Amino acid sequence: MIETIRIGTLLRETAATPYRNLITRPTGAAVRDRIEAALAESDCATALLDFSDIELLDFSCADEVVAKLLLADSDRGGRMVVLQGLSHDQYEAIEQVLNHHGLAVVAVSSGDGSGMPQLIGWVSADARQAFRCLCELGALRATQLAHALGWTDARCRETLRALLARRLVRSEGELYFPITIA
Amino acid sequence: MTRVIEIPAHLDDRSFEQFAAGFGTWPPDEKLLFDARGAQWSSPYGLIGLLTAGQAIAEERRERPLFAVPASTDVKSYWSRIGFFRYATDLFELHGKVPKAAASGPSDALLDVTPVRAMEDVHEAVNRISETAARILRAELGLERTATGRFSMALSEACQNIVEHAGTGGWVAAQTYTFRRRLGRRVAVIAVSDAGIGFRRSLESTHAKRFGDRWGDGAALEAALIQNVSRFRDPGRGQGFRQIKPFLDKWEGKISIRSGTARLAIVPVWDEDVPLSEHLPFFPGAQVQITIPAPDTESR
Repeated sequence: MIETIRIGTLLRETAATPYRNLITRPTGAAVRDRIEAALAESDCATALLDFSDIELLDFSCADEVVAKLLLADSDRGGRMVVLQGLSHDQYEAIEQVLNHHGLAVVAVSSGDGSGMPQLIGWVSADARQAFRCLCELGALRATQLAHALGWTDARCRETLRALLARRLVRSEGELYFPITIA
Repeated sequence: MTRVIEIPAHLDDRSFEQFAAGFGTWPPDEKLLFDARGAQWSSPYGLIGLLTAGQAIAEERRERPLFAVPASTDVKSYWSRIGFFRYATDLFELHGKVPKAAASGPSDALLDVTPVRAMEDVHEAVNRISETAARILRAELGLERTATGRFSMALSEACQNIVEHAGTGGWVAAQTYTFRRRLGRRVAVIAVSDAGIGFRRSLESTHAKRFGDRWGDGAALEAALIQNVSRFRDPGRGQGFRQIKPFLDKWEGKISIRSGTARLAIVPVWDEDVPLSEHLPFFPGAQVQITIPAPDTESR
């Protein structure tokens, strides 16, 4: 199950502002609190944070909303976080902040979730390649992915372990899945 | 005795040092007269620097300074339109006729002089500039949409620094103008200034030890701008200026930060500024200027 959280709605409720600018640390922290409260009441497997109503996202809020939500990892069990509806500026702001923390998150570009998922933030080149391959080919076993990439099984399993640990892919039995929200 | 501080005819980040030197010691013991009669032009940095001086003197509980307004009608009118006199009235005893802002016509500034005392003011400033920045920056400087968004983000981060670190209020203003002397192109400039404790005192308790004898205003600026340190333990803090740098690199922009007796700049190729100036005349708080030039169409 996917829980969609519209960040623009939370911003309007939190800051009581008609503007769509998600700026300043206190505002970011308040919005993150609302996200965490919503997720605490949900048993969803994927939290989809929709930024499409947001005009401007500054670095402070990228840090408060996205990085700190990911850093509070232990509290969200096996839940995945996916970002949607990011503008180019927002994408870059989040990427810079996540790189600083050594974090990464999945983003989908289009409103209906049909766009190819992307990894934002700090990930190894192998992880990025394996993630892209899974997104293109769909669910695969580790051996199938290794074959598709021309890698050894050990290299592939290590990369998948890293992606799983950071909740950037999911697994069921022997199969590894890209994150889908469509 | 009254000490006369002559406002340079062209008041910008360079001539600001001449203005700062006029105070002698800080806080000044004598009553002050700010003589702006000969003023011909001021950048946003200069205007909010004047307000910062007035604010700092008020916070030191010194006598309210006199302020002789510019003789030039055009200059007075512009200073009025951009909101300078709206706040100067509270900080100075104004001498000379000041046109009413409404009579001076609408401001063409990216952002009029705006006080920053709380996070709500940061929201207000960013919301106001977001409405005009994209249109003006695209039309006048030919900047892409991504650049105008980054411009607002830079403004947000610079203003938040006041609220989080200064310990008092400050000011922000933004404007576009032609930078004839050093560049020969249009530029967009954000100026942010506060009368607070400055970078050295803000970082002293957490970072001075590491620098040993080198610790001072210059080292504190280096720590903040180059090493991205913060007085907060939160690892996400102290990144505001660091995050602005890729934007400055991409658009050949410049940032300079002055605090206490030092000034540190990231200097693009078009400018001749020195990266670090120390032993400057003391001026309270911190002053930040971010300059984004129009793209150099001839070299592209």
